[in-house]
Amino acid sequence: MTAYLVTVAILVCEAALIGLALNFQWGLAGLVNFGVVGFVAIGAYVTALLAPELGWLPAMAAAGAISAALSTGLALLSIRLEENYLAIVTIGFGEIVRLVILNEEWLTQGALGIADIPRPFAALGEAFGGDLVFIAFTGALLAIVFLGLEGLARSPFGRALRAIRDDATVTAALGKPVFALRVRAFAVGGAVMGIAGALHAFYLRYIDPSQFTPIVTAYAFMAVIAGGRGSNVGLLLGAGSIMALLEGTRFLKDFISAIDGVQLSALRLGLIGVGIVLLLILRPQGLVPEPRRRVADVLPGGRD
Amino acid sequence: MTDALSMTRRSVVAGLGALPLAAALRTPAIAQAADVPIGMVLPFSGATGAYGPAMKQAADLVVSKVNDSGGILGGRKLKLFIEDSETSATTSVTASKKLLEVNKVELVGGFWGSPEALAAKPIILAANKVQMLSCAANAVTEGDTKGLIYRLQAKSSQWGPAGAKVMEKIGARKVTVLAQQNPFIVAMVEPFKAEMARIGGEVIDVVMYNPDQASYRAEVEKAFGPEPDAVFVLPLLTDMVSISKEIYRGGFTSKVVSLGTGADAEGKFLQAVGPEVAEGIYHLQPAPPIESASYARFVKEMGAPEGTVFLFAGNAWDQICITALAMEHAKTQEAAVWTKSVREVCNPPGEFVDDVVEALKMIRDGKKINFNGAGCTCDFDEKGDSLNRSFYVQLIKDGKNTPFAVVS
Repeated sequence: MTAYLVTVAILVCEAALIGLALNFQWGLAGLVNFGVVGFVAIGAYVTALLAPELGWLPAMAAAGAISAALSTGLALLSIRLEENYLAIVTIGFGEIVRLVILNEEWLTQGALGIADIPRPFAALGEAFGGDLVFIAFTGALLAIVFLGLEGLARSPFGRALRAIRDDATVTAALGKPVFALRVRAFAVGGAVMGIAGALHAFYLRYIDPSQFTPIVTAYAFMAVIAGGRGSNVGLLLGAGSIMALLEGTRFLKDFISAIDGVQLSALRLGLIGVGIVLLLILRPQGLVPEPRRRVADVLPGGRD
Repeated sequence: MTDALSMTRRSVVAGLGALPLAAALRTPAIAQAADVPIGMVLPFSGATGAYGPAMKQAADLVVSKVNDSGGILGGRKLKLFIEDSETSATTSVTASKKLLEVNKVELVGGFWGSPEALAAKPIILAANKVQMLSCAANAVTEGDTKGLIYRLQAKSSQWGPAGAKVMEKIGARKVTVLAQQNPFIVAMVEPFKAEMARIGGEVIDVVMYNPDQASYRAEVEKAFGPEPDAVFVLPLLTDMVSISKEIYRGGFTSKVVSLGTGADAEGKFLQAVGPEVAEGIYHLQPAPPIESASYARFVKEMGAPEGTVFLFAGNAWDQICITALAMEHAKTQEAAVWTKSVREVCNPPGEFVDDVVEALKMIRDGKKINFNGAGCTCDFDEKGDSLNRSFYVQLIKDGKNTPFAVVS
């Protein structure tokens, strides 16, 4: 049981990393990114290709950097677009990445996927029961990213992004470089998604295009919406709840024998949907809403 | 967003603290001490969800058959846990992990799709349990398998040459290939080309398409456009339904040779497209022992019409049979031990037997048996791949699958 929970915890960490990145782009800066899975896939493939050559740390750094660079490129191309159009462009990007990975066999081995990706601290893992070392690594990584993004969200940069999200015109009128700030926000999110992809490759040790379907993007949005858009603490709770729903329902059929297993598999995905709908009805603002910051918090003596 | 609804740090901490309890609400279903837990990861949802239910039905049938006849290892019952792979490698990992850690299974079987099998392979091997496959990608049995992996299915590299032999039989020299981009099929293309070259034929074009396309018209026109003698169409079920309609609409005259995974799928293809569209399509799949009495019994127990060619359901059936027999032979449920008995009960020499209950009895009597299953002869080489795979070729005529040939 413990080892199974560790597996789930590792996947929660991965989902939380992706969610944090999306929360930064969409929750904080208001940039809809429906191509999340594309950036995760790029991170995973860069890691899978480079880790055997360069070792895990340079590979992971490269995954973050390349994903950030591509984010920047995509942002420069499309970020002036209105929200809905940005959504379409990013969906397109996600699909392009998937198709390139599937068809450029010389680089990605196409549909066959890449196996035997080395894991960080593999030797140490052997000695201390495998996944425990990896969960420590994953947890540390998540903590670093969480603190980093939380720091950014509290910084003047984060404040400017929130202002752009709430009203870009007013922010521009106040002299903030809206376009440059948006591009930077998008790049930061892309880097974190790339790192999440690296983690995915390290954990599964085998990646193929079928792992990077739009459902990854959907789970990330669910985590952000369930947790409370704009709140990083909420995101952690949201990612945890979504994974608890996904995995917890697995146990239903071990206990309910009245319903056939095949029906229950279908029902399970339905139940997850119902759970999310209920969550949104009961707590439309998310589990932990974004803290409402007052003028007084920023400017001592300012009026509320 | 009002202050009344905003969360205090205390309630957040309480919520965080309660999270692990969500999993503990239900105590895990561990099989009773006397039961022998075994598991399967099968697709019930996602792109290959159509194949799971028949496999589950077959597995359930054989488990109750073994249990009703008194079980194994002196009266212990098999307890089967089945998880949905959702046609996803990531889900297959958590599902396998759950089976291994929570249900403590000795076998993780099923595995319709190669990506699911490849992703689960490292964790099953790390746990020293047996993995049985119904998938085809060569890579699964490559590398170190610790003698724990068995494939009940033909390998991709065996499917390709079989296709070339069908081309030879129907007199097709100039052919094109229309193939889905997936690990099972990609690995067939090169062996097919090599075999075509050997028999003096020519592959003039290979057209690949992506799974889940909205339309296949461009690809169908590219493959059939040069008017080859025949087109080797390598699909799964859902895309073959669209492709065959596209071929019919286009009025192309080239012959169509396809795979049982797409153009039969245990009868589902004919149900989906009807007789006119399906007319004249050849399809091949690894042959179950069609002629044997035990196969006829298996089809009857599955509640299917006589003559149905089950491929994956037979694999699931056999996985359970082999596990039960090997455990009985090794006198233990310990996977690392009974894996050494698999070839003892499956490979010749030995007395031929194709009924699992009968076979269990013979093992108890100390006889050396050679078990033959519902999906294949169940003989394995040292890597765990199936030996002696012959392919059964059928031609769709007047809305029915009719036997055409057996190639090996």
